[in-house]
Amino acid sequence: MIAGIYTLVILGGISYTMERTLNDYHLTVVEFLGIYVILAVSLALTNSFTGLFSLGHPAFMAIGAYISAILTFPPIRKAIMMPALPHFLANMQLPFCLAVIIGGVIAALSAFIIGFPVLRLRGHYLAVATIGFMIIVQVLITNMNSLTRGPLGINGIYPYTDIWWVYIWVVVTVYTVWRVLNSRFGRAMLAIREDEIAAESLGISLTYFKLFPLVLGAFFAGVAGGLWAHLVTAITPSSFSLPLAFLLVVMLVIGGKSITGAIIGALLIGIVSELLRPLEMATQMYGLTQIVTAIGLLAILIKKPGGIAGSKEINLVSLYKSLKVLR
Amino acid sequence: MRRVLVVGFVLVSMLLVFGGFGYAGGVIKIGALYNLTGEMSSIDAPALNGVKLAAKEVNEKGGVLGKKIRIIAIDTKTNQKECATAARQLLSEGVVAGIGYGDTTYVLAAAPLFQKKHVPFITSGATLPELPKMIGNYMFLVPFGDNVQAYAMADFLYKDLHVRRVIIWTNKATDYTLALSKYFKERFTKLTGKKSILLEDFFQTGDKDYSAQIARVKALKPQPDALFISSIPDDIGIIVKQVREAGIKQPIAGGDGYDTPLLVKVPGPKLANDIYYTTHQAWDNPDPVVQNFIKNYKRMFGHEPENAFAALGYDALMLVVRAIKRAGSDNPAAIRDALAKEKGYHGVAGTISYKNGSRVPQKAVAIMKVEQGKIKFVKMVMPNM
Amino acid sequence: MSFLSIGYILQQVANGFILGSIYSLVAIGFSMIFSIIGLINFSHGDILMLGAFSALAFITALHGPIWVVFGMVGVVGFLIGIAIERVAFRPIRSAPQVTGFITSLAISSLIENFGILVLTAQPRSFNIPDYLNGLLNVGAVSFRVIDAIIVALSTTIVISLYMYTKYTRMGMAMRATAQNIDASRLMGINVNRVIMIAFAIGSSLAAIAGLMWGAKFGQISPLMGFLPGLKAFVAAVIGGIRDIRGAVLGGYVLGFSEVLFVGLLPPDMSGYRDAFVFTLLIVILLIKPEGMLGREEEVIK
Repeated sequence: MIAGIYTLVILGGISYTMERTLNDYHLTVVEFLGIYVILAVSLALTNSFTGLFSLGHPAFMAIGAYISAILTFPPIRKAIMMPALPHFLANMQLPFCLAVIIGGVIAALSAFIIGFPVLRLRGHYLAVATIGFMIIVQVLITNMNSLTRGPLGINGIYPYTDIWWVYIWVVVTVYTVWRVLNSRFGRAMLAIREDEIAAESLGISLTYFKLFPLVLGAFFAGVAGGLWAHLVTAITPSSFSLPLAFLLVVMLVIGGKSITGAIIGALLIGIVSELLRPLEMATQMYGLTQIVTAIGLLAILIKKPGGIAGSKEINLVSLYKSLKVLR
Repeated sequence: MRRVLVVGFVLVSMLLVFGGFGYAGGVIKIGALYNLTGEMSSIDAPALNGVKLAAKEVNEKGGVLGKKIRIIAIDTKTNQKECATAARQLLSEGVVAGIGYGDTTYVLAAAPLFQKKHVPFITSGATLPELPKMIGNYMFLVPFGDNVQAYAMADFLYKDLHVRRVIIWTNKATDYTLALSKYFKERFTKLTGKKSILLEDFFQTGDKDYSAQIARVKALKPQPDALFISSIPDDIGIIVKQVREAGIKQPIAGGDGYDTPLLVKVPGPKLANDIYYTTHQAWDNPDPVVQNFIKNYKRMFGHEPENAFAALGYDALMLVVRAIKRAGSDNPAAIRDALAKEKGYHGVAGTISYKNGSRVPQKAVAIMKVEQGKIKFVKMVMPNM
Repeated sequence: MSFLSIGYILQQVANGFILGSIYSLVAIGFSMIFSIIGLINFSHGDILMLGAFSALAFITALHGPIWVVFGMVGVVGFLIGIAIERVAFRPIRSAPQVTGFITSLAISSLIENFGILVLTAQPRSFNIPDYLNGLLNVGAVSFRVIDAIIVALSTTIVISLYMYTKYTRMGMAMRATAQNIDASRLMGINVNRVIMIAFAIGSSLAAIAGLMWGAKFGQISPLMGFLPGLKAFVAAVIGGIRDIRGAVLGGYVLGFSEVLFVGLLPPDMSGYRDAFVFTLLIVILLIKPEGMLGREEEVIK
């Protein structure tokens, strides 16, 4: 409890300092890092802890992004840009926080609907099905012109996302996932990951405990999509596609099968690509970032196949204790 | 060992200090945002080459206001998130203007940030005419708007080729192609009435098989006089090849997406026939500006300009340089004001003037014809808007 | 709809057949590798791209007969497969499956971006000698000489590969390894060699498919591999990922359904094509989760 409060305060202090000292660019980088953390940690629910290989996260992000963008958009501009919106949506303008939550809820709802049939599939079959789901969502968004403005996407979204919103949602996501992991839900999920048949014979409902992480993960993906939309200020159907899904899976694999690992993976991927950019600009060899990232990834996979953190978690309490001991 | 370290340290810091100050005193930083990797790279990479060539030429002639131009180019990887961060990075480095992109999607993610900081953003290749209205008074277009080129083609088909019935194919996955078809349809039905469009059909970026669409055209009675196909450069070669192989002989017409060597090379000279398209400039235009551009581009990059986006990128930087010269200052707001007053820059891709407060240039449209694999200039058109 | 004549439908079937022939070649390689070491190899499509570019190089440099080019491209793919297996996949073989998947993504990104750096992202035209472009008419159906070659060659390869796995020592070793890698090792099978050969053959087929792709559509680019790679994965899954016959069937099903969805949907709906294809895919998976020819125990609980 105390350790948690410590962490909140320290992170808050860091955010405050960053808000005061960093320029717009660095602040944006930090905000994206936070969004990556939300995405990676929420994807870990299915991919790392339940052993369900989902590539559908961007679909949930897209749903959250579009819903929240439509909800925060001023009605006057909606009338011109999205003429086919139903009446109640066209005249509605919600506060950012509420819009993001609704986006997350609808993403979760869609996860529930798609998850019900699809979660019976295993391994790669599930991966294909979730890719399929993502492409279906993308095609629908592209083709529903009068609701979503098709390939042009929605632009001019108000940039509500700031470091504090990102901070709050990172904390909420990590805390929720941590609580889930250390509850009977989490133990059931881990049991399913280790051995489905054994888990089922112990009375764990596979349907329920597979659906739960997918739906919860989708909620946070939807939220992250909302934050993303209000940070980039423009979204298109192709903003949320397969390369992003791959990137998220890569974060989990290099980080390891734990919350700590997911966070490390997200931060590492985010930071490395920003750090490599000046190199790319100086050498004028565009594509270098991807090449260096790929080689680094291969090296990590070969040297440390379990990921950097493995399945270990940082224990905050003992961390603080050891710090006090040091002093 | 220690001595080596010390000497090295001194050398490096001297380099940093002098290099840094030397630059800071005498350069004007201009940002360039392009998708140099990923799906958009075949369109954006040539544009950046054009920008670089222009910068080199300006610098060889002593720069502008006694300062050198320094292009800070960032690859945004065909990803809007990268656009949003890269734009902020450029702005934090203090660029006085931004140039970029051959597609509206990415402009929409980057340009608002320039607008907010009151730094002009000039898109070299995005052709959505509403862009300046959507972004604000710091947004400029180098190319003509899609409405202009679509109207020009509609007029040309109607008046010069006496086309009365057309079919329209549209790539449904990009905004450029949708807008082009929309404006073409608008103009053509105005000229000939609603029934003149026999069929509207769709495809998507990267499609390889058009046999279904072709079959639907062949089944039409009466047959259309021409096919208007709204496509991006990467698809058009394959489309023409399959349409002609299927024995459809009517003229094919389209926009500046046709301005790529693929249009002729993929179908081959026999099949690449009777194609009309609108573009920014004719490569065989004897105008020395055009021919020098081609020559210098070849010298710098080892091959001819890949497509019209190279010329547009070149023009974009030249416009900025001219504005800086006229403004007598590298202050972004002053550059914007000078840019808005541009009257008659004779560029590689046409003559650019911003009139009546519009930040979409009023440019004549070049109509080109492909005959047995040879691209020929037909005429310049300035449609009534 | 007046265009739905018998001739039209036959033509569409022929088109689907040609496309399916290419997909199935790619899918076979995919499923060979998957069946033996359980690896989803997303760099498979990029080997197709490498095959296409080396074919272009051979054609421009040699002007030799197309058969020679096919052979050389096959050899190139063979060697690339061995190299990739050796450098990237062998070191991580004992790691969990998802590691292999990520490794293949890394290799894919590596190949694509090297491609962009070296070749630029511009698509290139891929022109074949005129005689291969000649039009053949059989009844209402027309196709080009190269299309016939694609179908014939693909069928020959599929049949001989099936024979190879069924009747040769190496083929049997492959099937045994696919069944149970540890048991095979105990039985004295050189598992490393088997895996290497599977990679080599699979990559060789992908490279040949790359040549076919270029010859059919006339255009290639460094990023061309992604879509066929993804589709091969889908095709292999539809058909039953552990079986060559399944991969072939899946390839044809995918080829047909793509062509037919565009052909039979009204134009307004054709934007939804991919949604239909993937809905169909999900439905197939749900009804018969092990793929059309697969065995059940693999897939569901």
